[in-house]
Amino acid sequence: MLLIVLPNLQEEVVALYSCSRKKYREYHRFFSPLLKQLKRRQIIAPPPINHRNTYLEWNYEAELYSFGKRLGEEFDNELLRQALMQRSYLKKLEEEQKRVGIEVSSNENVDNVCMIPKGEEILQNFTLLYLRHILPRFPEEGIQSIKDHLMSEETLSHVCFHIGASELILCEDFPVEKSTLNSTMKALIFALHESSGLERTSVFIRDFILTQIAELDINDLWNIENPIETLNTICRNEDVDLPEPRIVGDSGVNTILALYRVGLYINKKLIGLGSGESIKIAHEMAASDALRRLFGTAEHQLNIPFNLVLNPKIKSEPNLGVKDWCEKRVQERIKQTLSLNE
Amino acid sequence: MSAWARTKQWNTFTRIWHLFDATWQNPIDCAETIGLYLKGMYKPIYHPMSDCGDHVVVINTKKIAFPGQDWRWRAYYHHTGYAKGASYTRAWELHDKDPTLIFKKAVYSKLGNNLQRRYTMQRLHLFADEKVPEDIMKNITNQIRPIKIVPRTLDTYSQEEIKSFPKIFDYPKDYIIR
Repeated sequence: MLLIVLPNLQEEVVALYSCSRKKYREYHRFFSPLLKQLKRRQIIAPPPINHRNTYLEWNYEAELYSFGKRLGEEFDNELLRQALMQRSYLKKLEEEQKRVGIEVSSNENVDNVCMIPKGEEILQNFTLLYLRHILPRFPEEGIQSIKDHLMSEETLSHVCFHIGASELILCEDFPVEKSTLNSTMKALIFALHESSGLERTSVFIRDFILTQIAELDINDLWNIENPIETLNTICRNEDVDLPEPRIVGDSGVNTILALYRVGLYINKKLIGLGSGESIKIAHEMAASDALRRLFGTAEHQLNIPFNLVLNPKIKSEPNLGVKDWCEKRVQERIKQTLSLNE
Repeated sequence: MSAWARTKQWNTFTRIWHLFDATWQNPIDCAETIGLYLKGMYKPIYHPMSDCGDHVVVINTKKIAFPGQDWRWRAYYHHTGYAKGASYTRAWELHDKDPTLIFKKAVYSKLGNNLQRRYTMQRLHLFADEKVPEDIMKNITNQIRPIKIVPRTLDTYSQEEIKSFPKIFDYPKDYIIR
């Protein structure tokens, strides 16, 4: 355990540690202060982190080949190389060449700058297509916010790092920054598109990027500012009475830990149930619950499938906005999308 | 944490206020049941380290019932700490001094010896009769079922009920009831 903690002082510690174990039954008096000293040294000057390519047996060609194989994808070697080449790396290379006195050859179209917007477009189109297909009742505002989350720097860099691309990227920054990982992920998607086609790319996006929402509550990604007013708008669209709030239950009303439960009723039928520390908050939560049930994203309704194979060439129509949302129009839209996919 | 998740947590861990009527109940038997409510052990989320216990308001502790000769024979021990300071009080004597004390001691001993015991006891509210302050009464939202069915005494039956009560046999006409 000790050796793992202090790799730079391995030999020193091994000698002392083994010595003390051999001669005595217990640890030597010097052992505790020594460990303290070593720990102090490590805090002052932590061991440097080296890039994997500084190791002896690093073989970039083999790593590139196995990267695609690991993911189960067929990459064109040249395109993959280009997708992993950042402009910052080329600039650094040019400067070094100039310093040595070598004539600089033009390096256009060798880096991944031109691939990034194209990859982003493919990613965005398919993400929207898939989300609109699996959540046909969810308003367009919500779909857009889920898409924004999936295409954010945080998510894409997380995925890119964990598929093992960070060591293969040729860039100046080390450890690789999130923005670099983010842009490389988009370039990789374009490279895959050019190598294996759109269908294969869409499956890749589905498996690696869309699955990131599996552990999230998608309702948290889209914050409805005023759920009560939103629910009223929808009721007006549906041409039914406005929901009537009623206190369904409460406990400890006179304490600071008071709880109220409010139910929303239309024609004596419960449409939403919420709880909270005050009647106002419980009412808001009940409206929020009713909206979740309408949009098909309540806890008991939500079971997102990640194994659908959709035709990525279809151009998806945006879902209904909150202001136009009503049951009749949603059903029409679902019929349309079903007929398109067949 | 979103507002939805927060209120869900609030709803799950809320403290419920229960009412328990101690009329004609054996306090030793009741203590076990009330202890479960005080510690929140009837909840599916229960864990000894999670603070999920409820409040229990016990009324009519003056009307508790002991079986057999327990009022005479059950003794409550106390020691002042000085030499010859031990004292034994009979249950009926203690009940005369404070009608909530027998119930309190019964629950206290059933809760088990641990650091949470005194905090758990703070959630037990005992009242000798039916007079409960209004602010406490407003908190209550549940009633715990009595352990034993309270029998009706003869003086609670009206004359009509007694007359219409089914008889097994008729007295002979010449029988004289004294």
